[in-house]
Amino acid sequence: MTAPAMVNLTIEGRPVSVPAGTSILEAAKAAGVLIPHYCYHPGLPVAGVCRMCLVDVEKAPKLMPSCATTVAEGQVVRVHDDKSLEARKGVLEMLLINHPLDCPICDQSGECELQDYTFQEGRADSRYREPKRFNPVEDFGGDVLYVPNRCILCTRCVRFMDDVQQESALCVAERGDRAVIAKAPDADLTQAWAGNVVDLCPVGALLSKDFLNKARAWELDRAPSICTGCSQGCNVTLETRDNAVVRIKPRGNPDVNAFFICDEGRLNYRWMNRQDRCLAPTAAGTECHWDAAVAAAASALNGKRAHIVANASLGNEAFFLLGVLAKKTGGSVRFTVPQGPEALLPGVEDLALRADRAANAYGAELLGASRADDPYRGLGAGDTLVLVDVDPASVPAGALAAAGRVVYLGTVVAAGVKAAAVLPIANIAEHDGTVTNLRGHVQRYFQARPAPGHARPAWSAVADLLIALKGEANFLTAADAFAAMAKAHAAFAGMTFDQLGTRGAAAAGATAGAGR
Amino acid sequence: MSAHGTAPYEAVFVGKRKADLDAILLRYPNKQAALLPALWIVQEVQGWVSEEGMAEVAKCLDLTPAYVKGVVTFYTMYHQHPVGKHFIQVCTTSPCLCAGADKVTEAFLKHTGCNELGVTSPDGKYTVIEVECLGACGFATPVQINADTIENVTADKVPQILAGLK
Repeated sequence: MTAPAMVNLTIEGRPVSVPAGTSILEAAKAAGVLIPHYCYHPGLPVAGVCRMCLVDVEKAPKLMPSCATTVAEGQVVRVHDDKSLEARKGVLEMLLINHPLDCPICDQSGECELQDYTFQEGRADSRYREPKRFNPVEDFGGDVLYVPNRCILCTRCVRFMDDVQQESALCVAERGDRAVIAKAPDADLTQAWAGNVVDLCPVGALLSKDFLNKARAWELDRAPSICTGCSQGCNVTLETRDNAVVRIKPRGNPDVNAFFICDEGRLNYRWMNRQDRCLAPTAAGTECHWDAAVAAAASALNGKRAHIVANASLGNEAFFLLGVLAKKTGGSVRFTVPQGPEALLPGVEDLALRADRAANAYGAELLGASRADDPYRGLGAGDTLVLVDVDPASVPAGALAAAGRVVYLGTVVAAGVKAAAVLPIANIAEHDGTVTNLRGHVQRYFQARPAPGHARPAWSAVADLLIALKGEANFLTAADAFAAMAKAHAAFAGMTFDQLGTRGAAAAGATAGAGR
Repeated sequence: MSAHGTAPYEAVFVGKRKADLDAILLRYPNKQAALLPALWIVQEVQGWVSEEGMAEVAKCLDLTPAYVKGVVTFYTMYHQHPVGKHFIQVCTTSPCLCAGADKVTEAFLKHTGCNELGVTSPDGKYTVIEVECLGACGFATPVQINADTIENVTADKVPQILAGLK
């Protein structure tokens, strides 16, 4: 395939060169100029209905909608000239005619494009003196609430349902100032990916019921992370308030999830805030110093075969070091993958809620762990069972009885597990690391809040164990552990934390489709 | 039909009406273009366009019910609720208003028993609404009852007009 011809133009006095066929709006982004817009979204078909992105193009008789105008050689575009500003001011004044201006009680406040652009370049006051139109709030089903008074009818939600989810559930009903977004007869927004309309909505018209009245946008701390809901590995942002995860938002990544996440992933965060967390290390059931617990675990492992059962959502670093531990003791690492129904997002290539409901099954296999329906099979009488972030309720009593000793590395308290040593570990919100999705895309997740009590990342706990067993695992950070892994495993050869960044990279020899 | 959807929905496009629709489809380059005439047929048969009606039209024309709903609600002449057997539209735009259209409207509301604009009379026979210009300003006040237009209507002619309706 030959590269498309490049077109040179000037936007706000900045020369920029973009492939032919690019819209002026996207070209301006490349030049570092944000053209205000509502109806345009890079993940949706262009509609050109909001008239917000009008810009002055030299030699054009009138202002052009930059989302729907492609670049041309030698074009001179002005975004912030008087003419364009006047047009946008007019659009904003019109949009605010029936807008309730209830920002103080609106969930979108602080992350609202209507608020931002009005503040940036709108009129200071309104000339409209008539009563405003009123429509009641409507429950759209699923996680979505519709507040029609705030709606600016950009139709992003309608286009998402029509063209991306491809199950038409929404339409623009009525016309003129009576127009609202309406559900189709007998339809609602319970489709697997429908919750994305909440993120797409540039204003506070479509709200998440789950997040309703929970926090203001400016109170939240945000950290890039990876959804552990399935093996797709969608990029997300964990949003925390007072160190509790209160919302998950999708984070754009063209290699993995475009701009979207499914509702199951979006709403699956409460486990991160569990209150029954394992806070202190123990040795033989008594709380003790971290090092004492590590020593107890090491003596339980010394000379024994380690039968390691790990959570398939653990990071690559943890699986790497568990593999080293297994090799050292002549044991093995096994994991089981919870299953669920698959749900495709038809409008995006190779994006689905996958049947494998764990984040790192592919990475675990690359690192020598093996997938098993019953990970406790083959547990010998003299073996030491090492449980790493496994739901304590899922461990069969028979396995606990069969094992010589149990070492428990967990995020939650395991009352029923009589362990020789317990090491509390951090969950995905509380440490840095990487996971590998089903197409072999290696991606980083970042710490969103501190770990509770004495909990440490799983890789760090395992590294301590290895050191106690006279192994070499002297890592200060997840990046160090990752570097050692990149040296030891060809699939990760040459990768570094810095190079992965927030976009990730494909593992060597990754299955077809990874390089999409 | 007196209430919303109490009777089971009967398909509109069967037999002759299916043939009618097929004949209409021949006039257009694609199926979507026949949406408005198809909706007219539904309204003619059922008196209004119900959600089931929208769904049936959508199916016949390979559209989504959401799209059809958008079109039905866009236009004011498709009824989204059942209306009386005689749908009475009184022009109340400026010239007619000067000629006493408000009195005509009042007379219709009184003599039909509707009492309120847009509300169907208890016997289910009449619905009265105001409309914008019917294009007969020289013959104020024009009144359109279903497909027929009557000109030069005054308040005292209303009982006689109603008596003439079958």
